[in-house]
Amino acid sequence: MPLTKEDVIARLLARLPKAEAASVPVRDYPTVRLGAPEDLPAAARLLKGELGFEYLEMVTAVDWLGPVRQEGFVSSRNPHPFLAQAPAPPVTPVAGPGISYHPILDMLWSFGNLRENLKVFLRLAVPRDRPEVPTLTGLFPAADWQEREAFDLLGIRFTGHPNLIKILTPDFLTGHPLRKDYVHQKDPYDE
Amino acid sequence: MNSEPRPEMAAENLIVTNPALQTDTMFVNMGPQHPSTHGVLRLGLTLSGEVITKAVPDIGYLHRGTEKLMETRTYNQCVVLTDRWDYCSAMPNNLAFCLAAEKLIGAKVPPRAEALRVVMCELNRIASHLIFLGTYGIDIGAFTPFLYAFREREMILDLYEMLCGARLTYNYIRLGGVAADIDAGWIAKCREFLEFIKPRLDEYDTLLSFNPIFLVRTKAIGLISKDSAVAWGLSGPNLRGSGVNYDVRKAEPYCGYEQYDFEVPLGRTGSCWDRYFCRVQEMRQSVRIISAALAKLPSGELLAKGIAKIPKPPPGEAYAHVEASRGDLGIYLVSDGGTAPYRLHVRAPCFVNLAVLQEILVGKKVADVIAVLGSLDIVLGEVDR
Amino acid sequence: MGIVLDKLPAVAQAVPGGQIVLTTTDYFIDLGRKYSLWPLTFGLACCAIEMMAAYASRFDFDRFGVIPRPSPRQADLLLIAGTVTKKMAEPILEIYHQMPEPRFVIAMGSCANCGGPYYDSYSVVKGADRIIPVDVYIAGCPPRPEALIHGVIELQKKIARMKLAKGAAATFQQEKGSRDPAGGI
Repeated sequence: MPLTKEDVIARLLARLPKAEAASVPVRDYPTVRLGAPEDLPAAARLLKGELGFEYLEMVTAVDWLGPVRQEGFVSSRNPHPFLAQAPAPPVTPVAGPGISYHPILDMLWSFGNLRENLKVFLRLAVPRDRPEVPTLTGLFPAADWQEREAFDLLGIRFTGHPNLIKILTPDFLTGHPLRKDYVHQKDPYDE
Repeated sequence: MNSEPRPEMAAENLIVTNPALQTDTMFVNMGPQHPSTHGVLRLGLTLSGEVITKAVPDIGYLHRGTEKLMETRTYNQCVVLTDRWDYCSAMPNNLAFCLAAEKLIGAKVPPRAEALRVVMCELNRIASHLIFLGTYGIDIGAFTPFLYAFREREMILDLYEMLCGARLTYNYIRLGGVAADIDAGWIAKCREFLEFIKPRLDEYDTLLSFNPIFLVRTKAIGLISKDSAVAWGLSGPNLRGSGVNYDVRKAEPYCGYEQYDFEVPLGRTGSCWDRYFCRVQEMRQSVRIISAALAKLPSGELLAKGIAKIPKPPPGEAYAHVEASRGDLGIYLVSDGGTAPYRLHVRAPCFVNLAVLQEILVGKKVADVIAVLGSLDIVLGEVDR
Repeated sequence: MGIVLDKLPAVAQAVPGGQIVLTTTDYFIDLGRKYSLWPLTFGLACCAIEMMAAYASRFDFDRFGVIPRPSPRQADLLLIAGTVTKKMAEPILEIYHQMPEPRFVIAMGSCANCGGPYYDSYSVVKGADRIIPVDVYIAGCPPRPEALIHGVIELQKKIARMKLAKGAAATFQQEKGSRDPAGGI
């Protein structure tokens, strides 16, 4: 009997009492919100071992602090004296039903079952000041670099990761650029 | 010609085991400026003689911070930046972003636009695989296929230039549809190109694919097993070269792919040659898809109605993925109701594919590094974003 | 110069010992330099693909004497094709300093000119001329191969104006960057 989306959610909720189906799912895909970071390895083992989700597609996170600070962007002086500095495009956020700003890093994992063509998303909210999550590199080698990227750009520490160092940004760059409150520190290559 | 390596050349036999002989490992730095690393990639190889004991890819030399920049651009401005991820095949990048944004807005793309999207993405797949063929030949040491491949590619670029004015970064697939229409002249020229390329692909098989030297250099090299490929999250021809039948166009069809009849080429052993030949066969299948799409091109609108000039999608989250030329390109888009995406994450296939080098290069000879790296077909714009 | 060449065959016939060519040393040396510009294979991003297309058969760079060389020690032209990121800035400087003089730099594409579409990014150097002196800027995103060839021809014209008298290496770049209006050509 082929696996369905509802089966997957039901099995996950049965195994993890603190989990719940997400209130704002990723459009058209089953999304489950985990209750605590400790649930993640159990959920991953269930998905990989029993439900056939052996393909880890994506590890990422969303910073829900608020609109992005313009000090995170570095523009050069406009050298044309006759052209006014172009205004930044109007970004008018409203944050509607089910989505609000709070100091949370919302992690997202995406697993795929290649035989049954199913995909499931796992969510976990971690506090911004101490974002610590267990690593999945033991079960899925694909998590290795994606977790390093999340660490580099968002500052999430993955406990148990064999090599949690920067991967994309230059060594002299301090801070985590994708955070909404990232303020760029001037380096020798800026004006 | 026997393409198996001689037993005495096996990797284990090349490591010095005589304790009286003092040896040391050597660290060799490949890149970031290197003719064969397909961009600015740095590979730190620790060698024991000719055998690699550790391979560490160092990336980030093309990290431009697109995900952060998208947070201050409007959705139409974002499409411009998407072109520059996988710049060898820019149409699927545009498409993935537009599909995610359209899911959030709830827009319904008209059928003519969908068919045009398919035609352009498949043409881009052929163009991208031609670049792969040419550059992989150069990596192995064959200079001639590069010239042939680029000559064919120029014909495709002429088609794109007729269509939208650009040769490499198109900004053609927009929110709700496509930007420009094609006419009978374009269709005739496209059909002419498809007729021209069919015998050329057979020519490449005699020139490169079944060339004995090429076979020896790629047939037993860079083996990735099925389980390994799935565990490392590979996608695209890298995954299918190992025998895993997963193609997003068949698994979760988008833009009307379910109406086109095409096969998904699969490899058997997961060697460099399997991945290479998957791409060559994919070019043939793309020709089929384009012919079918042009034959039943519906008429009608190009853009969905009701999308504002500066769209403000309602708050929500969406994930859309397409079968780009290099793998499964996914876009995770979060909107908070503003004019710019609140968060955009790119699940870049080349970024995930490149990590497998850490495993498959260990124990292999340094002379095979370029062959293995080339067969993964990475583009640093997508690895680093 | 033209008058000499037109009258040359008649004059040369009369010279015992064979035909000679009369020209200035500057012209002769610059002729050699400009018609054998050997760029380093240095593609960074999207512009690299258009650079490769310029080397391929349709636009054929070889007829201008332009042959790509893989090692900076053998190259005299640095074609910065693509975005210069901060992590890449140091390797670019090392490569530039490895090139023997006279060396020339062409900034190809918007990103190398001024940062391009990434004008407000935290990790992009806004223009290659922030780190090395640039001789010719080619606009475009990416520039067509014809535009790249045009840029190389402009560089050839610039080389033709080089004078030995200005120094043995005869480069007219300032190390601060070619936006400095005080010196150079």
